[in-house]
Parts: sequence; C-alpha cells; structure tokens
Amino acid sequence: MIKTQDIINHIRSLVPGDRKVRIMNVCGSHEHTIAFSGMRSLMPEHIELIPGPGCPVCVCPESDIIHAITLSRRADVILVTYGDMLRVPSKDGSIRAQGRNYKMITSPSEAIRIATANPEKKIVFFSIGFETTTAPTAAILETGVPDNLYILSSHRLTPTIMEVLVKDAEIGIDGFIAPGHVSAIVGSNAWNVFSEIYGIPTVVAGFAADNLMLGIAEILGQLKNGKIRTGNVYAGVVRPEGNIQAQNIMAKFFEVADVNWRGIGYIPESGLELRDEYSARDARKVFGLKEIKEEKIPGCICGKVILGKAYPTDCKLFKRACTPKSPAGPCMVSMEGSCNIWYKTN
Amino acid sequence: MKQIEIGHGSGGRLTRDLIKNIFLKYINSEELDPLEDAAILNLRHQRTAFTTDSYVIRPLFFPGGDIGKLSVCGTVNDLVVSGAVPRYVSLGFIIEEGFSLESLEQIAKSIGEAAKDAGIRIVTGDTKVVEKNKCDGMYINTSGIGEVMRAMPLSNISDGDAIIITGTVGDHGTSIALAREEFSIEAGVQSDCAALHDLLTPLFETDGIKWMRDPTRGGLATVLVELSESLGYGVHLYEDRVPVREDVRFISDMLGYDPLYLANEGKAIVITSGESANKVLEILKRHPLGNNAALIGKVSSKCKGVRLKTRIGGERLLDMLEEDMLPRIC
Repeated sequence: MIKTQDIINHIRSLVPGDRKVRIMNVCGSHEHTIAFSGMRSLMPEHIELIPGPGCPVCVCPESDIIHAITLSRRADVILVTYGDMLRVPSKDGSIRAQGRNYKMITSPSEAIRIATANPEKKIVFFSIGFETTTAPTAAILETGVPDNLYILSSHRLTPTIMEVLVKDAEIGIDGFIAPGHVSAIVGSNAWNVFSEIYGIPTVVAGFAADNLMLGIAEILGQLKNGKIRTGNVYAGVVRPEGNIQAQNIMAKFFEVADVNWRGIGYIPESGLELRDEYSARDARKVFGLKEIKEEKIPGCICGKVILGKAYPTDCKLFKRACTPKSPAGPCMVSMEGSCNIWYKTN
Repeated sequence: MKQIEIGHGSGGRLTRDLIKNIFLKYINSEELDPLEDAAILNLRHQRTAFTTDSYVIRPLFFPGGDIGKLSVCGTVNDLVVSGAVPRYVSLGFIIEEGFSLESLEQIAKSIGEAAKDAGIRIVTGDTKVVEKNKCDGMYINTSGIGEVMRAMPLSNISDGDAIIITGTVGDHGTSIALAREEFSIEAGVQSDCAALHDLLTPLFETDGIKWMRDPTRGGLATVLVELSESLGYGVHLYEDRVPVREDVRFISDMLGYDPLYLANEGKAIVITSGESANKVLEILKRHPLGNNAALIGKVSSKCKGVRLKTRIGGERLLDMLEEDMLPRIC
C-alpha cells in the first residue's frame, strides 16, 4: 500500500525548481479535502493549489434566485430546491428570508412526491448544479413527472467554464484536477481537449486526500516529462466514456445555451436549458420569467474567487461582514463554496 | 393517560401530591425531605464551588440517557472539572401542561439514580407548569455546590503542557442527531452522559494537573479555541490521536458533522505538565470511563490559535463555529 508520506516525497521530487506551478481544482468536495486535510501546508513552496468554480450554488445567477423568491410568493406555487439554495443572498434577500411557499429537497424524486401530494399547486423545481445534478433531473423527466411539476433549470457545464479559465492568461493554470463526480457522468475523455489543444495536464481524482495528492503527483510528472495527457487516478469510479445512459437522457431533455454565471457574466454555450419540446415543463416559459440585471455586492470578490483570481482571504468582507451565518456573497453559503470552506480552516 | 395540569404548578394540593407521589418516591435527602422553602446546608469546607445550568435538550429521552440524568451529570461535571467534590444539587422543573406523568416519573427515577451514582444530594427543588405549547415538554435547571479540593486556574497552564481527553469524542452529539426524527438511520450510538466525579477526583491529588474542562456544547474544538483565546497563545492538536468511535465517524461524515465540534456529556479535557502526562493517562485508563483516554495535544506559546495536525501530516486552523451544529443538545 502506498503511504501518504511516500506520495508527498514523490511530489517534492517532481517540483520544477525554477517556477511556480498553479494547479486548479474545480470541485467543492476537492477543495474541502484540500483545506480540511491541511494539504496546502504539505506542498512544496512552488506548488499552488487554487480553488476554481467548483460550487454550483456560487455561480447560480442572482436573477434566478429572485425568480425563485417571486415564484414562491405566489399562492398557487410551491418552490422546491436543494438546501443551500435557500440561503443564497440576492438583492431581494434569500429564498428562506423572503420566500413564502418553499420546501427543501435532497433529490429530484422528492419534487415528484411533493407534486403528487399537492395536485392543486404548481410545483417549481429550481434545479441547479453541474452535470452531477443535471442527470438526476433528466432522469425524473425520462420516467415521467406529474403535470403540475415545472423545472427552473439553472444547470451549468464544467468543461465550458474550464475552457474559459484556460484562455484567461491572468489566471495562468498549469494543471487541472478534474472533478470526480462530474467525470463519472461526462467521462474522463471529456477533458482531452485540455491536454490535446491547450497542453494542460488534467487528472481525474477522487476525494480522499491520498488520492488527490496522487492526482497532483501525476500532473507534476506530466509537466516534468512533457507528455501531457488526460490522467485518471479515480479509475475505479470514472470510465473514459463516462455514463452514456446519463449523457443520453441529458441530451434528450436539455440543450446547450448561453447563460449567465454569477459574478462572472455571460458565457456562450455554458449552461443547459430545457429543449423546446418540453416548454410545458419549463418554468421560465410557463411563468414568463425575464432576466433581471445582476447587482454587484459591494466589496464582494466572489467572482474573482470562483475564477481563481483571488483567494477568499483576499476579500475585505471575509470573516468580518461575510460569515456562513450571514453570508454577503454566494461563496460563503454552501459547504462547497471556497469562502465557506476557508472560513473553517484558515 | 395521566397528564400534568396547570394546577400541578400552583403550589397547592396538586403540587404537593406531585412532589409526594413522584418526586419524593425517587429523590430524597435529609435536607430535602422537610420540604421547607430553603435547604439548610452544613458546609465544612472553606472554598466552595457553585454552578448552574439549564437543560433544554430535544428529545427528552435519548439512547444512553434522558433529560433527568443529563441535568444531574452536567452539573456534577461542571463542579468536578472545577476541582470540587460535588455535594448538593438543586432541581427546578418547567413542565408543559399535558406532559405525561409516566414520562415525568421516568425522569424523576433517572434523577434519583444519577444523584445516588454521583454521590450528591438533591436538597431543594421547584416545579412550575406552563400552558400547552408554551414550552417543549420540559426544561430542567440544576444548580450545584461542591467543596473545592484543588483550584485549577487557567494561569496554571504553561508552554509544553500536555492535553489529554478522557475518551471518545462526539458520542452525545451523534446520539442526539440520530434520536431526532429527521434522520432515518439506525445505529447503536449511545450518549456518553455520565458523572465524572469518580474518574476525575483521584486527579485532585496527582502532581502536575493544571486545568480541566468538560467539552459539552461546541465539543472539543470549541473548548480548545476558547482556551487558546484566553491564554493568548496556541495549542497543537493531533487529529489522528483524538479518539472517535468508528460509527460516530461514519455517521458524522454522512450528516456533515465534525466530531471535534460535537457535544460530549461524559468526557473531560485534562491539561497536565508534560512530565505528568503518562502518569495521568495511567490513572484515567484504570477507570471504565477513562479507558480510551489519550494524549491529543500540546500547549505551545510559539503559535496562535488551535493548530490541527491532520491525519496526512498537514496543518490547519481550527476555529470556533458561528453556531452549534446541533442546537438544543443539552
């Protein structure tokens, strides 16, 4: 069995002495492991581990949160969504503070249960997240949902945002730790673009500290020997082709769209909306929701944190005007948000 | 089923009946039995420790204990970790109208047994009843008096002192989380609710003992953060040495809790000089409540805050949580 210390020694042996290596993770659970295991303190001086856009709650547009609040205030609607979404701040407050008829769910099947139990109401499922949560939403659509269930889709695509990051010279990414759960759906092949076109080592890793460090070692090894490719140290879970069935049902119900990312702005082809054939299920169309202009939160640098251009501790509000109990910005809300994680570990 | 009525708190006949038929059946002492307005105590000792605590735990009955046992053990432990031998405890009930008399009797029985086990006497009490929905079943307040055998002020602590925990952390918090209906998980985790007088009083005569605290609400981490803030310098905590039951770790992972922050009701943090640490561990391990005792950290004047040495050998800060992971835990 490989010992933790062996992996750390291996990482140290691979460090290029002359320059910084910036390795980004794009998954809240990865950042959680890195921060809670104190991994940064074990890295050689030249290695920088950067949290990227790994928290779907953090990037959900303010406009959608306001729509969710507004819908929940209608007498004929029950809004259902994941727990973290209830607390995300917007200029109109959070769903929990300003919403009226809302329920927390932990899986899309609960949305069906609530819709069935309340046939006189319109149930709006505020469905957010990366590929990992899109697939279960597509799955309930595939098996059939009650007529009174509507989807407010705010799904985002991980590979697209990663490509945006790669093209941004200010960030300067030398390697990606690809998200384990997302990779299980999209497959490790989805990351080939980074090694083949951009020459950036991208390695799929799991969530145990040792496994993540193996991923880091793999990135450093590739940088050292110059043979850049997609790596996978989580092969027990992630296959090259991913979960084809999940990909198929996602493609059946959703189509790629240009969407807004909170704190970042519009990114072409970076989100998923329900296809026209399913307009009757699309809360945006059924309720005629129009985009509301995002308002900047004074002092908040969540946008920069999400893009890896700043650390949470660079923010003036961090641990002062922004805490998990009263978050000023979205990254402080979810347990997957970088600011929330750093609040507990820095 | 017989229930508590508003009249049970009126101070009249019904109150008298309740005291006689339920409380005195299980709880008695020469100081309490005359049922006067105040108990007359003979304190031989010069230095006296005095503490009070209110118990609002939900649910009232949980694996390993109930609010009655908890209200005795909690106050006994506050006295013991202050270096006192617990002697007398008062008992105040606030009960909701409609509360089952059968449950009340069960709680009174636990209180009587816990008092006997802890070697303390319940010497005075009070019962109030509030209207239905004005409280959640029952709240209890206990105050306690103990004779100080060894004062252990914070100023005792110095650089290099050893930090010992008397057993596994997070048992109480986990058992309460599971006892609440939100989680449909079956597990055998029991609260560690216990009086620590028998485990800890031998340490009053042991060389090198500096300070003690029972890590209840907020758990081990919160006590250590408070400690380092009071000291003005830091402590090192070694993650892999902190004893955590396997099932507690598993359930905490699943529910998103950190055992370091989960409440304990039968554990103490003991700070001792480095030289005495082994001797203290040996004494603790002789007792059934201390057989998982472990040296988990060190006081260090060279750092600030609580520095956690992680399982993989990394280091990070442990900070106080903004709010309890589980409210109404005791």
